[in-house]
Amino acid sequence: MRHAVVAGLLLVAPGAAVAQGNTADQLEQAARYHAALDVERELVLLRRVISPNSPFVVTHEQRVLAYKYLGAALVVLGQRDSGLVYFRAALERDPFVDLEPQKFTPAELAAFSEARQLTFGLGIQAIAFDTIDPRTERLGLTVLATHVADLRVELRSAGAPSGLVLYQGVTDGPRELQWDGLLADGRLAASGRYEIILAGVSQLLHRGDSVRLYFSIQQDHPPLEDTVAALGPQDLLPEQHAAAMARGELFKSLGIAAAAFLIPRTVANGELHGGGRAFANGIAGAAAVVGIGSFIFHQRHREIPANIAANAERRAQRATANAVIHDRNQARLAQTRLIVAPAAGIGP
Amino acid sequence: MRWSPVSALAILIAVPSLAAGQVSVQGGVLVGRAEHRVVDADTLVALSGTLFGGTLGVTIGERFQIHGEALGGPLTSAAAPSLEDHDVAEAQILGGMKVRPWLTLESGLSFRSFSNSLARQHWTTWRIGAETRVPLGFESVTAVLRGFWMPLVAVSGLSKPDVALALGVGLDWRGRRMGISAQYTFERYDFEPRNGAQRLEELSTIRVRVGMWWPRSSRAKRSA
Repeated sequence: MRHAVVAGLLLVAPGAAVAQGNTADQLEQAARYHAALDVERELVLLRRVISPNSPFVVTHEQRVLAYKYLGAALVVLGQRDSGLVYFRAALERDPFVDLEPQKFTPAELAAFSEARQLTFGLGIQAIAFDTIDPRTERLGLTVLATHVADLRVELRSAGAPSGLVLYQGVTDGPRELQWDGLLADGRLAASGRYEIILAGVSQLLHRGDSVRLYFSIQQDHPPLEDTVAALGPQDLLPEQHAAAMARGELFKSLGIAAAAFLIPRTVANGELHGGGRAFANGIAGAAAVVGIGSFIFHQRHREIPANIAANAERRAQRATANAVIHDRNQARLAQTRLIVAPAAGIGP
Repeated sequence: MRWSPVSALAILIAVPSLAAGQVSVQGGVLVGRAEHRVVDADTLVALSGTLFGGTLGVTIGERFQIHGEALGGPLTSAAAPSLEDHDVAEAQILGGMKVRPWLTLESGLSFRSFSNSLARQHWTTWRIGAETRVPLGFESVTAVLRGFWMPLVAVSGLSKPDVALALGVGLDWRGRRMGISAQYTFERYDFEPRNGAQRLEELSTIRVRVGMWWPRSSRAKRSA
């Protein structure tokens, strides 16, 4: 008796093991049953997967797959309307879902096609991590409408009111799009968050739908050179004389005049009554005139032409250097590559 | 043979500067007015006249210069011609070294001759002193102050003077190629009293010089 119980448990165990396998195993097993046309056992497994009481975690993709196989199994069993319901459930969750012709019968394919006509959904295929060279490469995008619809695909900086229209027209099924990395203004997309908005109106059901996908772009280019800093006061010569300078020049000139005036009167021997006083007075007068002239001139013309010219030359040199740096930076920016990555939303 | 060390030094200084293109030559003409006053045996003789001459200078590098000058002319009394009237001729050579941008130390020899139909008197002086240049606001105008002490003065027929000094004040404008300067110079000589009388002598001049430079400079030269 004891041996009979053990043998019974051994017989039951494989079934129990199947029943207790995780969701992926159950779906694989269901697919195998479907290929073997063992739809009864397939339905059991699939209903177990979609049941709210399923002990295993069921991902979104697994649920879609379960609905797809459920729909196909029900069509095989002749329950076409029920099959359509599950097909539509799969399509509503993932418009990209499809039946592989090599795995499914024409009846299943026809039912799925009908389900697509009855269900309007739009989808954008997720963007993978990628790096593109905008000069030679394009970013590939796939959008989809479950059936014929008027579509508009727009790419914009996240949160911006408008952007670049990538496509506008009638589409039935998937459509491949390519983006060259440029925005509407012709400039390369700057680093930041972007969104693709797909909006459409079904031509069959006259119903609208929209979906958006966020992604980020990071510009990658060789490091740029800093431009030459703006010239500060310490880099430039004074372009005007100080106000006190004119007075200083006047005092110097008057000092020279005084020296000329005093030499014959102090150094000369008094007994000679001479010393060339007239000559000295002439020089003193000339020095005074120069001093006064210089004072007046510098009061009216405080600019220093030599310094102005030197400063202009320094500014020109800086501008030339910056122009060269700018050109080099432009050449480096021309090599910019775009690193594209999926994003969760407008910001992190 | 006596000048060999000086010549060698000049060559040592000049050759590298010449090779480096740092030598400039200045030449010019002088016109001036001179006043010569002499008191001897309580008698004052005052003579004046117009002098003409020329200058030649060489600037070597930024620091060294050699400057030569020659001028001459008749000196006459203001009244009627007299036996005291004479001609003066002078040659001077000065070497200078710039120790500051505004200060040049100078030393040199002067040879002067007073002559008339009756006699000739030779003066030889060695002077040392300095020249300072003060910019006067305008970029190319400077004031020039000069002062010399003459420790060695040899005058034919006279003993060495107790006091011998020279001063000068002037204005100098220098363009890129040419320049004009006006200078007042004053020389005082006090001789040793002899037999109760002392000979005092002064020579004052005002000189206007018009000069040119070679090679042409992009900035006003301040060294000569």
